[in-house]
Amino acid sequence: MIAHVSRPPSSLAIDPPAVVVSNLSRAYGNRVIIRNLNLRIERGEFVALLGESGCGKTTLLRALAGLDPIQAGRIVAPRRPAVVFQEHRLLPWDNLWRNVALGLTAPDAQARAAAALAEVGLSERLNDWPRNLSGGQAQRVALARALVQEPELLLLDEPFAALDALTRIRMHDLVRELVARHRPGVLLVTHDVDEAIALADRILVMRHGAIAFEHRTNTAGSTISRGDLLAELGVASHLAA
Amino acid sequence: MLLARFADYSLPATTKDQLILSNFEQTASASEFDRAGITNASSASHHGLVPLIGKRGLLLLSWLAPVTLVIIWELAAKAGWISPQVLPAPSKVLNTAIKLATAGSLLDDLRVSLLRAATGFVLGGSIGFALGILVGFSRIAEAAIDRSVQMIRAIPFLALVPLVIVWLGVGEAEKIFLVALGVTFPIYINTTLGIRQVDPKLIELGRIQGLGPFELIRRIVLPGALPSILTGVRYALATAWLALVVAETIGAQSGIGFLAMDAREFLRTDVIVLTIAIYALIGVVADAIARLLERRLLAWHPNYGRSR
Repeated sequence: MIAHVSRPPSSLAIDPPAVVVSNLSRAYGNRVIIRNLNLRIERGEFVALLGESGCGKTTLLRALAGLDPIQAGRIVAPRRPAVVFQEHRLLPWDNLWRNVALGLTAPDAQARAAAALAEVGLSERLNDWPRNLSGGQAQRVALARALVQEPELLLLDEPFAALDALTRIRMHDLVRELVARHRPGVLLVTHDVDEAIALADRILVMRHGAIAFEHRTNTAGSTISRGDLLAELGVASHLAA
Repeated sequence: MLLARFADYSLPATTKDQLILSNFEQTASASEFDRAGITNASSASHHGLVPLIGKRGLLLLSWLAPVTLVIIWELAAKAGWISPQVLPAPSKVLNTAIKLATAGSLLDDLRVSLLRAATGFVLGGSIGFALGILVGFSRIAEAAIDRSVQMIRAIPFLALVPLVIVWLGVGEAEKIFLVALGVTFPIYINTTLGIRQVDPKLIELGRIQGLGPFELIRRIVLPGALPSILTGVRYALATAWLALVVAETIGAQSGIGFLAMDAREFLRTDVIVLTIAIYALIGVVADAIARLLERRLLAWHPNYGRSR
């Protein structure tokens, strides 16, 4: 198991972790995708997971989301995690507030959805259709839909990959702010090294189904250069610079 | 995806086309083409002379040809170029309509015909929808049912008319059965197709949001299948009408088709033309209702919804 060194300073010590993964393995036929993986994410901690395509990071995320059955190992999460995918996955036949309220059973679901939409700056468009949204706005709704569930674990599967550069930067700010407020544990799967550095408290690099590198960005005096991270990802640094 | 859907449901249409291709059906499929964006008629309206004519002008223009045709028909009949035995003047047909509606049994016959169509439609539609849901959701049901349904569907349903008459005689049951038979398949096919086409990513999302199986169907599967189901409804309306015409023409003591066959005995072409016009009119109205349903229920859909 990856040693649990320090918590983000503001987190309460009594919070249970958002998720603990022990000895997780997964194979498709003979091909081992995840090999004996251990991972612990605290509430309020932002973890970015980097790795080349096919390294198993999406498989890990899907296992955490409960979308694929677990073959070996254990995943202990207090509740069902919320997920934001690369595609917004909004229901085109429901207006925005109904999309956000999807799965909410509380009687005040509409009010909660409205509040969540206000948080992502879309309070004016409760009754609008998803097709009238831009890519960035749709992703904001998807984010609201995830956070309205008040998840203890938020899984982000390259949620900004399809957005233009400016929108992506704005989304980064929004996500940072929302995570600080709601304090879920976050696992962000991304290809974007800069995004990982910008957002994460901890950066993991996955290789051949296991976590091969770990770096804490919030520890004092510790900074990691883009080049070093790229080298970990197997990209020659003279190309990266 | 739309293209694939069109290709798919055009298959049953071609088997029907081999029998009788009603005008109604042709226009229905042509407008599906527009929807699919394959031939985009509306984009043409942004070019050339259109800004000068305007929307209202285009509407008037679209009525120009049919109105002219009717006027020429009227004049030719009045001038005696066309024998009334062959084709009576439109004014004569209109007169007959008024006479039959006030003094004759036209309204009663109309009511009887509509009732037959509605009963058959509801019956066949329910069966098609129920089977479609079953097969759409369950691989086991698909294995058990789908092949049989597809085999029955391969029979042009009007070829069954003699057999149905032997079974049920020429009463109401035979007519309703034929309508129901014609309606079942388009609804069935489009329901299963619609369910299959629901984006699995959305279903996955529903599971992540914690929806149970019932909620998953209600919130995601059925709304996702609705465009396809409504396409089935439009096709079914066309076949229902077609089935009714055939059933009423073969043997009936009441209804629009009976009116036509009765008139044939006495060479009353004016009544025959009137019944044809009524069939056409009801076809148009049925299609308009289906379109209205689409516009209402699919307001969210970029290809159907007009308003935001």
